[in-house]
Formats: sequence, structure tokens, C-alpha cells
Amino acid sequence: MPNEGRSPYLPIPMHVLHAYYESTDNSLKTLELSFDDPQDAREFFAAFNPGQFCLLSVIGKGESALGVASAAWEGDFVRFTAQKLGSVTTALHALKPGDPIGMRGPLGNGFPLEEWKGKNLVIIGGGCAFSTLYALTKHLHHPSNRGDYGKLTVIYGTRTSGLCMYKQDIAAWHQRDDMEVHQAIDVPEQDWLHHVGYVPDVVKEVRPSPVNSVAVVCGPPIMTKFTLPALVELGFPPETIFTSLEKRMKCGIGKCGRCNLGPKYICKDGPVFSLAELNALPADL
Amino acid sequence: MNLILKKDHLKHLLNAWRQDYEVYAPQSLQNFTHFLPLQDGFELAFDKAHNTRIPPKALFLPTSEALLKFTRFGGYEEVPSETAPRLIFGIHPCDAHAMTMLDTVFEQERYTDPLWKARREATVVVGLGCDEPCKTGFCTTVGSGPFNHAGLDAILTDLGEIFLVEILTDKGEYLFTQLETASEDQSMQASEVQQAAKASMPIAFETEGLKQKLDQNFASPYWEEVSRSCLGCGVCTFLCPTCFCFDIVDEAQRGERVRNWDTCMFRTYSLEASGHNPRPSRVERTRQRLSHKYSYWLDQINQIGCTGCGRCVRYCPVGLDIRAMLRKAHQLPSEVLHA
Repeated sequence: MPNEGRSPYLPIPMHVLHAYYESTDNSLKTLELSFDDPQDAREFFAAFNPGQFCLLSVIGKGESALGVASAAWEGDFVRFTAQKLGSVTTALHALKPGDPIGMRGPLGNGFPLEEWKGKNLVIIGGGCAFSTLYALTKHLHHPSNRGDYGKLTVIYGTRTSGLCMYKQDIAAWHQRDDMEVHQAIDVPEQDWLHHVGYVPDVVKEVRPSPVNSVAVVCGPPIMTKFTLPALVELGFPPETIFTSLEKRMKCGIGKCGRCNLGPKYICKDGPVFSLAELNALPADL
Repeated sequence: MNLILKKDHLKHLLNAWRQDYEVYAPQSLQNFTHFLPLQDGFELAFDKAHNTRIPPKALFLPTSEALLKFTRFGGYEEVPSETAPRLIFGIHPCDAHAMTMLDTVFEQERYTDPLWKARREATVVVGLGCDEPCKTGFCTTVGSGPFNHAGLDAILTDLGEIFLVEILTDKGEYLFTQLETASEDQSMQASEVQQAAKASMPIAFETEGLKQKLDQNFASPYWEEVSRSCLGCGVCTFLCPTCFCFDIVDEAQRGERVRNWDTCMFRTYSLEASGHNPRPSRVERTRQRLSHKYSYWLDQINQIGCTGCGRCVRYCPVGLDIRAMLRKAHQLPSEVLHA
């Protein structure tokens, strides 16, 4: 969102609408935020594209970059899922409905949805990085968008079933006839009906077709590292494989310098890159 | 049109400017020269052979400044970005040139930094060319020069008793309305001084093909070799006129969100909450510093991100010399086979 006249460091005033744990171990918490000023909501959704992120701001604690986990059609709120790791995410976990919070965004490029029209989509996620892929899937599910894309395949792996996010929705996805869902966990659990194994292996097992397809991969670095070559092996050209990157960020608008990958800034030029683009950049991740 | 400024008239002129501007010029403080606001009875400290220790970028991007002020009940407000008119006098061309590069970062089309922009717009910059270029400097090697005009509103050439003033912008013209015009001889003399200064500077390293060498040798043991004696103190970046990285932290007790200069030479710079660090050692961090200046800036604005001011050479506590590092880089193989 361009900052006409307004400081790009000034967060949009928001309030917590809902806050609930996403994982059984309470390490992941989802926050749904509503806008204090409806004008801010209009501007946000006019600019928003799935795959973008925001900087959530807890005054006195700092900011944390999180991918947007909701689609615009869901309502005038923005959803995020935060893993409790540092001081800001710990403060985010302590928030309750009604609490004030700041948000800067939407930031970054998001998924190239126009470019993907008419193609089959293979969505591959691991762990809490699935949040923006969830936003993407929700976006595609809207009746006015679904027809623009072909076959939809989702592969989602987590370490344990308890760490799987958005459980109710994903359970419902299995019933849909317009998509294929493959869930996986790393180690066997009782009553688990889906795949067991690491995501790259599940991808090899599912063998999504590269014909008229694009693949989107978001996950921890180790998963991404092994999934990208698995897709190349299946015949996906590097131009059709996309991933969303993360690095430490502060400003979110390509000024503070820290998230660079060669000459590109993940915050401003990404976070979504094709494998073809990544192959031309230094391996500085 | 060139003008003549008599040196014995300079103080009078600076004082006259002080009526309309806050005037910054190099003055001595604690063994170094700094750009400080002129007070009554000021003494200038033109150390021609050296730049001020801290580059004047600090007048546009302060080492620490508030971005937001916290208000009661969890609110916050923007820090106003108005700046009173300022004049920087005696800036060297390398530092002024560097500012034009930082403009491309802070005044990008999509996200303009209001604090930077307001200060840039409110400031007139009068340069002093380097007729005795400093020994650690290498401006001519990297596409700048001791009399480069980039980023300046006017530039002075020292001709003994007088300065020859070249007006470069309207802002500059407005400053020097009272001065007499330079004769053709004087202009010629200045041109000779400028040419001689340039000619006195040896080419420090070959820049042709240097970017490709750095890019192709990303995984080379070269980086381990050149970073071995680095202490990771970060002074090379802190005093660099083209470095702009900053951190944003909440100073809860002061009630402010603050940005502070930061450096890619520190471990915590790129350390992620998960514990992962893409640049875990000084090897990767040195690679980032050099590659940013000599490769990534070229991709971004087709200019080397260094103006050859020489501060990193002069102030490195272990004597690491970027010129030597880059000469060595130029010896690297052109195509490295990837395993």
C-alpha cells in the first residue's frame, strides 16, 4: 500500500476480534483483527493479495512479520497465526479479544494469481508456514474465483496432528469434490488416516502432474530445500514453482536492509519468488 | 557561471546564512572533525586531507531517532517530519554523492521515508572539493571524484586566497547572490587544480568485471581468507556514507519506537527468532558487506554502492583494507564449477 502522505512506519489501529489456540500444544495462536476505522479496512482490502504479510505491532514490545491467513471475502478482519518464539510473539499470545494492536500492511508482492489463471494449482505447505497457503486456498474457494483455476491439490504436513492448523476447515476440505487434500504427519499416530512421512516424500508419492500446473511451496527451510528438487524431478519447470521466503525483518518496506537476498529484498520484492528467480540469486538464506 | 568567495569573507557569509538557516560545517570535537551547527564564535576545522569521522548522512538519518511516540492507553502517534531550513557547508564530494544513492532507498516511489525526505528538501549542500585528496580515499576508482558534483548545490575549489564557487542548482544560486564573478583565468586555474587532484589519485583496484567475480565466487574460500582478521566491530559500516541499515526497537520507558543504525557485520542483525541465522559467521557477513556495495547496488541502480571516501580503510582497528580485498577478488577465477 503506497504511503501517500502517511508515515510508512505508522501502524493501522486495530483490535483483536478473536484469539484462540491453533495447536494442541498452545505454541500456535490465531488472532483475527478488526479495523478501528472502516476507511483503513477499505484501503487494506483494495490492496490485499493472498501471500502478502503484515507487521503486527504490540506497543512497547515491537513488531513481528506474519503472513495473512485470511481471504478478503471472509469479512472485514485479517487473520494471523503466530508461533510463540520471541518477545513480540509472546506478547501477541497474551492478547485477548478487545485488546488494541497495530498493523502495517499489506506488505510484499503476494502470489501472482493473474499469471496462474487457467492453471492447475499444487499447494504444498509445512508447519505454521501454511498460513498464507490457507489464505490462498480460501481465496480460490470463493465461487467467483474457483472457475478461474483448474485442478486444486493441497499437500499439508506437520510434525504431529496436534500441530495441524485450521483443523475444522481442512477436515471439511476432504469432503469437497473440487479439490484433493493430502495431509501428512512426520511420525505415526493412532487413528491417523492420512500420510505419514516428510512433505518431500509425500509429494513424490502423490506425484502431482506438471502439465499446465504451478506448484506453491511454503514451509520450514529444510522442507523447502528438499521439496523444490522433488518438484523439478516430477517435471515442473523452475518458472512454475513458487515459494514464499522469510528472513528477519524490521521495516517491511525495503529500507532497513536486513532481509536482502542479493539485490532483492524479501519484504519488498518478495516474499513470493519463483524457483527460476531464486536460481539467479545467491544462496544467502 | 563561477563566482569568487574571498576566504576572509567566509566567516561573514556563514554568519549571514545563519540568519536563514541552521548552518552545519566541520568543527573540531574530541580529536576529530564533525559537522556541527555553527554557534557564535565558531572555529571551522577544514581538514582537507580527511573527511569528518562520522559521515554527514547522520544529519539525514540520525544514529537514533523516534519513529513513533506512544500515547496513553496503548495508542501511538507519528513523529512530525518538518525540518527547519539547513545548510551544510564544506561537505566533500564523496559524502554528497553517497547521499544521492541513499535517496534511491529512502525516496522510492512506493514507500517514501518522510523523515529523510523532509530533511533532504530542507537542506542546501555546499561542497568543498578535495584539492589534496586523502590517502585512504579512492573516489576516482569507483565512479566518483574529488570534485564530483552529485548531490551538491554548489562546489568550492580552493585557490589560495579565494574559493572559486561553481553554482550547480537554483538552491545554490540563491546562496551566493552577492559575490563577484570569476575571471576566465580563475576558472581555468580551478579547472587545473581539479584535474591535478584527479590525476594524483591512483586507481586502487580494477572495477571492470569485479561484480561478476564476486557473484561467481559466492561460495569461494576467498571470503574466509579476507574475513579472518575481522573483529566484527562494524565500524566500517557505521562510518560508511552509503550504509543505511537500521534496526527498529521499542524503548518502552521512553515511550518511543526508535530506529537506530544497525550493521550487517553483527550476528544479531540477521538472527531469526527460530535460532536460524543465514549469516552465522563473519565470513558470510563480510561477503554481504562487500557484495552489497560491489554487486547488489549495481543490480539496483547500476552504480557501485561506494564513493571511495576511505573511512572503512582508515578506521578499521585491524587494518583491513577494502582496496586490497577487492584487488584480491579480481584475481579470483571467473567461472566456478558448482558441485
